[in-house]
Amino acid sequence: MLIEIKNLYKNYTMGELEVPALKDINLQIRKNEYLAIMGPSGSGKSTLMNILGCLDTPTKGEYIFNKSDVSQLNDDELSAMRNREIGFIFQNFNLLPRLNALQNVEMPLIYSGIKKQERKERSIEALERVGLAERMHHKPGELSGGQRQRVAIARALVSKPGILLADEPTGALDSKTGEEIMQLFYDLHKEGNTIILITHEQEIADHAHRTIHIKDGMIHWDKPNKLKEYMLQDNKNLSQL
Amino acid sequence: MQFEENIRLALRGLIDHKFRSFLTMLGIIFGVASVITMLSIGEGAKKAAIAKYQDLGVNNIIIREKKLTDDELEEVRAKFSEGLSLQDAKVIQEIVPGVVKTASQSEINTELKYADKSAKSTVIGITPEFVEMLNYKAEKGEFIKKEHYDKSLKVCVLGAGVAATLFKNENPIGKMVKIEDQWLEVIGILKSKALFTETVGELAARDLNTDVYVPLSTFLKRFSHENILESEIQQITVQVKNSDLLQETSTLIESILKRHHFNNADYNIVIPYELLRQEEKERQIYNFLLGAIAAISLLVGGIGIMNIMLATVMERTREIGIRRSIGARKSDIMSQFVSEAVAISITGGLIGVFLGVGLSLFVSIFTDVDISIKMYSVLLAFGFSVIVGISFGYLPAKNAANLKPIDSLRYE
Repeated sequence: MLIEIKNLYKNYTMGELEVPALKDINLQIRKNEYLAIMGPSGSGKSTLMNILGCLDTPTKGEYIFNKSDVSQLNDDELSAMRNREIGFIFQNFNLLPRLNALQNVEMPLIYSGIKKQERKERSIEALERVGLAERMHHKPGELSGGQRQRVAIARALVSKPGILLADEPTGALDSKTGEEIMQLFYDLHKEGNTIILITHEQEIADHAHRTIHIKDGMIHWDKPNKLKEYMLQDNKNLSQL
Repeated sequence: MQFEENIRLALRGLIDHKFRSFLTMLGIIFGVASVITMLSIGEGAKKAAIAKYQDLGVNNIIIREKKLTDDELEEVRAKFSEGLSLQDAKVIQEIVPGVVKTASQSEINTELKYADKSAKSTVIGITPEFVEMLNYKAEKGEFIKKEHYDKSLKVCVLGAGVAATLFKNENPIGKMVKIEDQWLEVIGILKSKALFTETVGELAARDLNTDVYVPLSTFLKRFSHENILESEIQQITVQVKNSDLLQETSTLIESILKRHHFNNADYNIVIPYELLRQEEKERQIYNFLLGAIAAISLLVGGIGIMNIMLATVMERTREIGIRRSIGARKSDIMSQFVSEAVAISITGGLIGVFLGVGLSLFVSIFTDVDISIKMYSVLLAFGFSVIVGISFGYLPAKNAANLKPIDSLRYE
């Protein structure tokens, strides 16, 4: 099991009030799963994503990632987790506007202390993977929305993380570009990546193999998806699940 | 994160915001420049003062006749004082312990004539010790020697100014000049000396370049003071073994002279070294003040950096969030922002060093203020600016590092 969450609670303090955001979450995610977390805004799905992404720690309960208890880690160790194990993909891309595509992709490797030459090679490789190698010297402002999201995906991939955590990855894109990005996720999953999609759109969630629905801070339901046609074409991949 | 990476980031930050960085640096630039300029002026003043007193000799005590009006002069003579005399010098030399040697001098203000030219000058009769005690050197020819003195030779050494006035293109050595009704042979020319523009103690300011030196023996035989009551010599310079003895030796000399002059205070005792020390003390206070003002401007520069850095942190909250989400530790963010502050202060410091040195040179070229640029002052100013950068960059950097990743990611 890649991720195991047991009896997890998260409360926020608002002035004097303790507001529960997540209540008694139990969740297991296997390696190479393609999972969607759905829920209306305010349901707690962002909080869950933050905890899964090691950006936040739970108030109570266990979060086991790859057999180690993440809820016990200190700030530096959480940083290291984010650096090595989590690949974030955000709705608004979150690229640094002053850096070009290559430099943006290189950033996680800088923080893990990888030497310049290797950094460059791996970053170019990641950009090639998302089909943007020829645009690597362009700054985000010179790229289209879809291209920016590809750069962000390359940045998430470059440190070869345990999970890709995508928060509304198509939210800022038109439907055609969004579909292309979803196709890229499909391919990345086929290549063995574990992907967690956070979305409130059913259509996007349908791309995953399993959907978890969050409501009022609790898991409302958790079931496998009906698979789409192009997914069915790849029976070999399915048999692995 | 690697050190080199931080430098790269910081420099890129500077270049991306050229104008803003420059404005931020201004405080540091002016701070460093003013520290260097002020220290250079202070050092220059010190150097000038030391040079001035060195002319008088740091181990010397100078006994100078007091300028008296004719009536006063008559009065002290009536009270049996003969004024300063070679006898006084002899007594001091023989009685006072710690005295290495004494030199006596007598002076008249008169004119020097050569061919159809004449020059106003102070003719000074000196004993041979004079040259050993004061570092007077002849630029051309030689200075008055024992031999000249013993034989009362009619020779003279001209100050640079006098020589320039009388001899335009000729070599003065060996020429005869006329002083009063006497012809003397020029045997040497002195190096040009700085103007003695300030009054040192009781010694009046004057232009040393118009001096003409002759052996005292010759002087006393051939020339006479206008006033017959004038003392035999005008000045005795006493050299003591070391400067620690100056105070007590001068006290002793004073009591001897008091007795010999029958309690007539017709002389002054000046200790150049003591005056130098006193001046030094005053200048220290002055320098400290200057330094403090300059330091305050550096401090203000530092606050300027802090102000901009705090604003930068706000502006870049999102960037910090992104960096944290992909694995930057608090310490990475911290060092990134400190590096940026230091890059600003170092760049500002370097510009300030150039400006300060330039300003010092400007002052020395276009005014007659002496300056002396010392390496220590450059290093001090520069080092201080780096420290200012680190210390004033620390708080903003800490703020940046302590931002919560989730909050900063959502920051619009």
